[in-house]
Amino acid sequence: MVQEKKYAFYLGCIMPNRYPAIEKSTRYVMEKIGYELLDMERAGCCPAPGVLRSFDKEDWMVAAARNICIAEKMDVDLLTVCNGCFGTLQEVNTQLHENEELRERVNLKLKLLGDYEFKGTIEVKHVAALLSIDIGPTEIQEHLVRRVNATTAIHYGCHFLKPSQVRQIDSPEDPTILEDFVEALGIKSLNFKQKYTCCGAGGGIKAAYADTSMTILSEKMKHISDVNPDFILDVCPFCHLQFESGQDWLKKNHDINYDIPVFHLSQITAYCMGMEERYMGLQYQNNGKKYELIPIEVQTND
Amino acid sequence: MTINDFLNEKKKYVELSDFDSHFFDDIANRSKILTCIQCGTCTASCESGRWTALKTRIIIRKLILGDLSVLKDPDIWLCTTCYNCYERCPRDVKPTDVIIDLRNYASKLGNIHPVHRKVVDFLKATGHAVPINDKIKQMRKELDMEEIPPTLYKFKDEENSELTKYAKELFNLVPPKDEKEEVKDKGKKV
Ligand code: SF4
Ligand code: SF4
Repeated sequence: MVQEKKYAFYLGCIMPNRYPAIEKSTRYVMEKIGYELLDMERAGCCPAPGVLRSFDKEDWMVAAARNICIAEKMDVDLLTVCNGCFGTLQEVNTQLHENEELRERVNLKLKLLGDYEFKGTIEVKHVAALLSIDIGPTEIQEHLVRRVNATTAIHYGCHFLKPSQVRQIDSPEDPTILEDFVEALGIKSLNFKQKYTCCGAGGGIKAAYADTSMTILSEKMKHISDVNPDFILDVCPFCHLQFESGQDWLKKNHDINYDIPVFHLSQITAYCMGMEERYMGLQYQNNGKKYELIPIEVQTND
Repeated sequence: MTINDFLNEKKKYVELSDFDSHFFDDIANRSKILTCIQCGTCTASCESGRWTALKTRIIIRKLILGDLSVLKDPDIWLCTTCYNCYERCPRDVKPTDVIIDLRNYASKLGNIHPVHRKVVDFLKATGHAVPINDKIKQMRKELDMEEIPPTLYKFKDEENSELTKYAKELFNLVPPKDEKEEVKDKGKKV
């Protein structure tokens, strides 16, 4: 059994290196709900399930196993904030758990990277699943100092729920966990056309075939803007980057200025728990800078 | 695995315009792939195929037939790994995973986009596919955070650093086609 109420905090790449405010917010939320986050020294890229897995699946697995081993040594489960990292680490963790032959092969190569051996003792958790299921919309209310009067377009992303036989979180065709959760924060989730489609960033397309990636995003943005939400809510820094850079691209190339702010679930949850607004980092983002959150104070007992 | 090991394992030099019904014998999930009924649910569900030439059903068909042209086909690189086809395929073919496997084969033949090679360069130099920069370091400071997160990059200058081992052992890509031919030519001269 791993230690309870503690997580190895897996940072990945895009969160710490592009949207540090999401990292800041996640740390804030976890502390407020009574968890300790431990640093994973010398962790590397997850590595990305679309692009890096495409070149060499086995090396991808070894690099992922190395990250998992760091958490195993700390005797705690691993927490991730990104669908891509979750996709990689949860899948590799599951596969190495189930397949002994694969585990042996990976462990052989792991030795070349340092003092690592995959044992299969921990679980990989996505912060959105922790908040929306393990804590849940009822218990979270005990930790709120304010709610937000707002409407939102929720974007689940792909790798959080799919493949559902591996993830086992919620239905990928008709999920409800995030809608239920944000309702507890006072936020109304809007329905929009093709709500569950991909943002277009994954699979190495954003890097190599940017126009295709942006075309997919443009369609998504059109449907989102049709329902006029106060902000877009995601659970993945890569989708986050796609919504930010995609809106910039539309401004530059098509003269369409949606200017809709983009928040990660951690950012908005931290704000509702009392984190100073400047730590949400909207001032560093390119869209929706003028958006002002409308807080509704919550009566607390203390 | 080097390109030569790979080709030796396949027992012969492969001309990529050829059909080789045994080429994909060792692909994962092969027995399931062979049960594909060409229903087209994958293509119909495809997030990328709506906008691009990617036709997932045809990719699967080519693989079953051993049509090796699929390994040169840029379309296999247009999949976003959205997993819609994986979820909906009535025969559990797992087309997303099949496409990743095909990309693995293509990579072993050196068919990798130059921009993707750069991503691997970043990974080897920093341990991150998306490395930190000065602007973000400043942002982290302003947010009262550690300026550099405690990942491989922070420890890169340690003696016998883990990043060095990582870069040496992982993702050693087969060089692009022309470079490779140069190497071959040099070999001949010797
Ligand atoms: S959905 Fe499955 S069975 Fe149907 S064509 Fe695609 S791979 Fe074949
Ligand atoms: S995973 Fe790839 S091939 Fe399958 S539906 Fe999504 S984009 Fe298309």
